[in-house]
Amino acid sequence: MTVAPDIGARRAPLAQSARAGRRRRIQPRARWGEARLLLLVAVTLLVGSISLGATLTGAFVPYDARDLAIYLGALLVAHLAQVLAGRRSDQILLPVMGMLGGISLLLMQRLPQGLVTMNLGATELGLGEVQLLWLVLAIALATVVGVAVRSDRWLRRYKYTWAALGIGLLLLAFVLGTDIGGSRLSVRIGPFSGQPSELLKVILVVFLAGYLSENRSLLIEQDTRVGPLRLPPLPYLAPMVAMWAIALGIVVIQRDLGAALLFFAVFLALVYAATGRVSLVVIGLVLFLAGSALMAALFGHVRARIDVWLDPFGDPLGAGYQIVQSLHAFARGGLLGVGLGNGLPLVGGRIPIPEVHTDFPLAALGEELGLVGMVAILALYLVIVQRGLRIGAAAADDFRAILATGLALVIGVQAFIIAAGNLSVLPLTGVTLPLISYGGSSLLANALVVGLLLALSDKGVEPPPPPGRRGWLSRLPGRGR
Amino acid sequence: MDGFLLLLWVMRLVFLALLYLVLARVMRSLLRDLRAAAREPTTSLGRLIVLESPSGEPATGLSFDLDAITTLGRDVNNAIVVEDPFASSEHAVLTFRGRSWYVEDTSSTNGTYLNGRRIEDVAAMGYGDEMSIGQVRLRLERARTT
Repeated sequence: MTVAPDIGARRAPLAQSARAGRRRRIQPRARWGEARLLLLVAVTLLVGSISLGATLTGAFVPYDARDLAIYLGALLVAHLAQVLAGRRSDQILLPVMGMLGGISLLLMQRLPQGLVTMNLGATELGLGEVQLLWLVLAIALATVVGVAVRSDRWLRRYKYTWAALGIGLLLLAFVLGTDIGGSRLSVRIGPFSGQPSELLKVILVVFLAGYLSENRSLLIEQDTRVGPLRLPPLPYLAPMVAMWAIALGIVVIQRDLGAALLFFAVFLALVYAATGRVSLVVIGLVLFLAGSALMAALFGHVRARIDVWLDPFGDPLGAGYQIVQSLHAFARGGLLGVGLGNGLPLVGGRIPIPEVHTDFPLAALGEELGLVGMVAILALYLVIVQRGLRIGAAAADDFRAILATGLALVIGVQAFIIAAGNLSVLPLTGVTLPLISYGGSSLLANALVVGLLLALSDKGVEPPPPPGRRGWLSRLPGRGR
Repeated sequence: MDGFLLLLWVMRLVFLALLYLVLARVMRSLLRDLRAAAREPTTSLGRLIVLESPSGEPATGLSFDLDAITTLGRDVNNAIVVEDPFASSEHAVLTFRGRSWYVEDTSSTNGTYLNGRRIEDVAAMGYGDEMSIGQVRLRLERARTT
């Protein structure tokens, strides 16, 4: 962990060049609210770790004191880096992220370590240690982004470049992707593999924020009437249809139902946030339902998901196995849970729920912490959403408002999709539980979201740049301007 | 052994309790933040910031809280008096209707510009947009919260 020196190195040339006045203003600023919350988080995690250790080893000592210390140390360094940078950013996001990450660490330490292994030189790291590595990197990323990003010009200026990059990532996954369980999701380059759709969701929000803030006033005007609905002029619906087509394309080409659902939900929410028009959301939902029906009729794997959702117990040992085991896990947990580390161990040499560390961490947590613990975890996601909406409401201009709203919703909606999937409230779609699931790309992408929210929340941030020309929509004919 | 189990269960319950304590603390700061925001009078719907004003009336850097209708021009009866040789006495009106801001040019001699483009009649205006009357440039921003 060398976050603080890194930041110093990054900052120095910027401060020296033409901004001598700003250098004087970088003064440490205490963040007592954050410090108090982090202390409480540390105590909570320590108690959790002792409870885990007592269950697994029979002695009241932390299960893995070294790993826990590294994790808490990373949080402390992140806190100190923000204090030294002296930025007046949000003080709640980091503790909440730290709490979720800590729960993730406790969970991954207790799951069979052989699920994921990584060779680092001569030492072989198990699931818990690999996850610790990613968690520390995620905290570092969130802090560096939160501290170093002072201007959003690079985000708002190049939105079409970002969009092109996002589509490039999709194509990359399609061309170079490796099939895992029939889905082409991950790209493997050398020893690293990553899921581009995780990064894609951040890029999508940046693009939408740029697009919607630029064309907002045009989308608000109501011109065309179709029955009871009042629509914006028809050409302006083109992006809506394009988005719909892209979402369906992801389902068809990548077989990634979860990402498609997430993208479309966030898209609709942002359109509503930018325009305040219910009619656009209604159109989007109708398109979505029509598309879903079409997909279910055309593709076997979509229909299979829906069948399992409607009747998981119809094929409990085959297609419905995961869901049935997940529901059993929640049932075993009951109200207060069976305790950390006390979940059902291996059954017949394999873990009860396949993919528990990526797709079903909530089921494992539901078993060990019960309904009470699970509600607390879901509430932490709500807190992140609330922070994002508040940061958006306080933003100086439309771009930042929509960006903050979208970033928060990406985490919130994704948590909802997978939680509902685990509980069989929605058809199961394979997305990760943000900040808890195992996985480097997932953790880093969500840390990027938290980091951007931190940067946006700073009260002393650079004022928005002057607007350029209006978006391409205003150049369409027939506007009468 | 029974003592061990009892202690273990206490440990587990303490963990859950601490989890909720974290949540309660977080909620308390959220509430405090919301209350502080609610105490601030936010009667205005937005702000107009003077970016450039060669004549010094209005002064550069000044921020006007906007009502639903704000008139701009050289006449002293306007809500925002723009003392500029290129401004008309009743130059433009800024209105908040429904969900959006609109700027209307009240048949001024030299026109009102939105983001560098001359408007005809009325144009929708978003937060962050710049309008100019004569040599005076103004930017629309959200009302200050927190």
